[in-house]
Amino acid sequence: MKTQKLELVCPAGTPAALRAAVDAGADTVYCGFRDATNARNFPGLNFSRDELASGIDYAKAHGAQVLVALNTYPEAGNPAPWHQAVEDAADLGAHALIMADIGLLAYAAEKRPDTRRHLSVQASASNPAAINYYQETFDVKRVVLPRVLTVPEIKALNQEIDVETEVFVFGGLCVMAEGRCSLSSYATGQSPNINGVCSPASHVRYEDKGNKMVSKLGDFTINQFSQSEAAGYPTLCKGRFVTQDKASYLFEDPTSLNAAEFLPDLMEAGVTALKIEGRQRGKAYIAQVVAAFRKAADAAANNQPIPPLGLENITEGQRETTGAYNKRWQ
Amino acid sequence: MSQAPKGPVAPLSPVLLAGLAVRPLPHQLLQPLLTTAIKQMQRQHPDVFERLTSVNSPRFLIDPVDLPFSFVMDTQPDHPSLELVKSDQNELEFHVRASVRGPLVLLIELLEGKIDGDALFFSRDLVIEGDTEAVLALRNAVDGADIQVHNDLLSLFGPLSKPVDLAAQVAGKLFNRFTRDLHILSSATLAPLQRKCDAQSAAIEDLEETVTALKKQLRRRSGKTT
Repeated sequence: MKTQKLELVCPAGTPAALRAAVDAGADTVYCGFRDATNARNFPGLNFSRDELASGIDYAKAHGAQVLVALNTYPEAGNPAPWHQAVEDAADLGAHALIMADIGLLAYAAEKRPDTRRHLSVQASASNPAAINYYQETFDVKRVVLPRVLTVPEIKALNQEIDVETEVFVFGGLCVMAEGRCSLSSYATGQSPNINGVCSPASHVRYEDKGNKMVSKLGDFTINQFSQSEAAGYPTLCKGRFVTQDKASYLFEDPTSLNAAEFLPDLMEAGVTALKIEGRQRGKAYIAQVVAAFRKAADAAANNQPIPPLGLENITEGQRETTGAYNKRWQ
Repeated sequence: MSQAPKGPVAPLSPVLLAGLAVRPLPHQLLQPLLTTAIKQMQRQHPDVFERLTSVNSPRFLIDPVDLPFSFVMDTQPDHPSLELVKSDQNELEFHVRASVRGPLVLLIELLEGKIDGDALFFSRDLVIEGDTEAVLALRNAVDGADIQVHNDLLSLFGPLSKPVDLAAQVAGKLFNRFTRDLHILSSATLAPLQRKCDAQSAAIEDLEETVTALKKQLRRRSGKTT
């Protein structure tokens, strides 16, 4: 069961970030087109068809592969942009397509069977029955696991499925209802699941109130930070709310996942690939995180201790967590 | 009481001192340099301005908090401009969609993609206001462009670029040394004040906990009496 070497799957929001990821040691890079077919549909981000073609060439020339995220749910009555994205990504030589919607998986399996299909975390498949269904029906080769499982749970899961597993090891965290979260829709009318944007920037406002900075999403005040306090993303799930006269993070703290210390355990649990979150982050983040995890993954493969990564300066809220891997709640 | 300047506190740095030194100079002297720089950026990185057309080519206020002046950048792809303005001018006069504030060195590192914009935002070294979508588009556009300020500006000097580069390298070393010296000076000056602040913060935290406990008690009592 033990994996010999963990594949490092790294994010890229721009061609420059893709090159930075490859140069820093990524085995595979995942990215998306500049539209609503992927869950990071942010202004100025993502790839044109030409840019993806160049990116794939660059990655292949350096021994890496490119995965294309088509992980939103097609708009009702308008599947054409998603179908076109499948065709274009396959034509351009993408190593695999990362998808969540069963209709899109069916389309890709039928029309482009030679291009690997990975199940996105947005599908939220976390038990053997669900994963085996995706594998038997759509010949999915890999599943990206939701960030809700402990290491023993991942190990048990791997013993009951016949597809590769990919797990998040670094970056931003979502509330644990990926693909089903409606908080952004509630506040702004746009969601990561269909529009590809969680808490879209067009609805975000920051106001400098002298001794504090206030962040707002739509009509909601999400948070206020004192001068010396580290800030976080302006999403409802990471809002600070007042209950019983005390302001606190009710759903989730602004903090980043860092599971580096679990790499040997994840290898032992039969995990194939490690995913780094952050297609919306700059190339400096990509270069720093990928280089650090390259060292960590290589150390794990050689049965050596995981070196300190020194990534605290780029984490959300300047804090880290091991998340559900070390679950201390019910 | 005068209003505190917006954005992060200006660090004690060579930039701050240089800014004070050039403050008496008329803006007309510096403006041609900025016009040349933005035209050079348009020539070498047209994709930055093209990407910004998706958010209707906004105007930005770029405010290096350690300089006594700011920049208004218009991102129209055919005729972008960079205009020098006084930091204390009323922002409404600039008709900008958003403002970005931070120390000059960090803004340049951000422009070159050497530092992550989200990380600067989390640490509060960078403050943005206004149309967040426009700022995000700007960040993503420059991050994807492989801008290198030093090399881009050097190319303006043509055959003189080599001696200018040597002079710039010497100046860079002096700048780094001066930055370190100022940091030592600043730390020594602020250490007693920092200790006092830490003590006060701890005292305030204790008081907040006491107030919360008292409020709880009060709620319980008022619940019993009703």
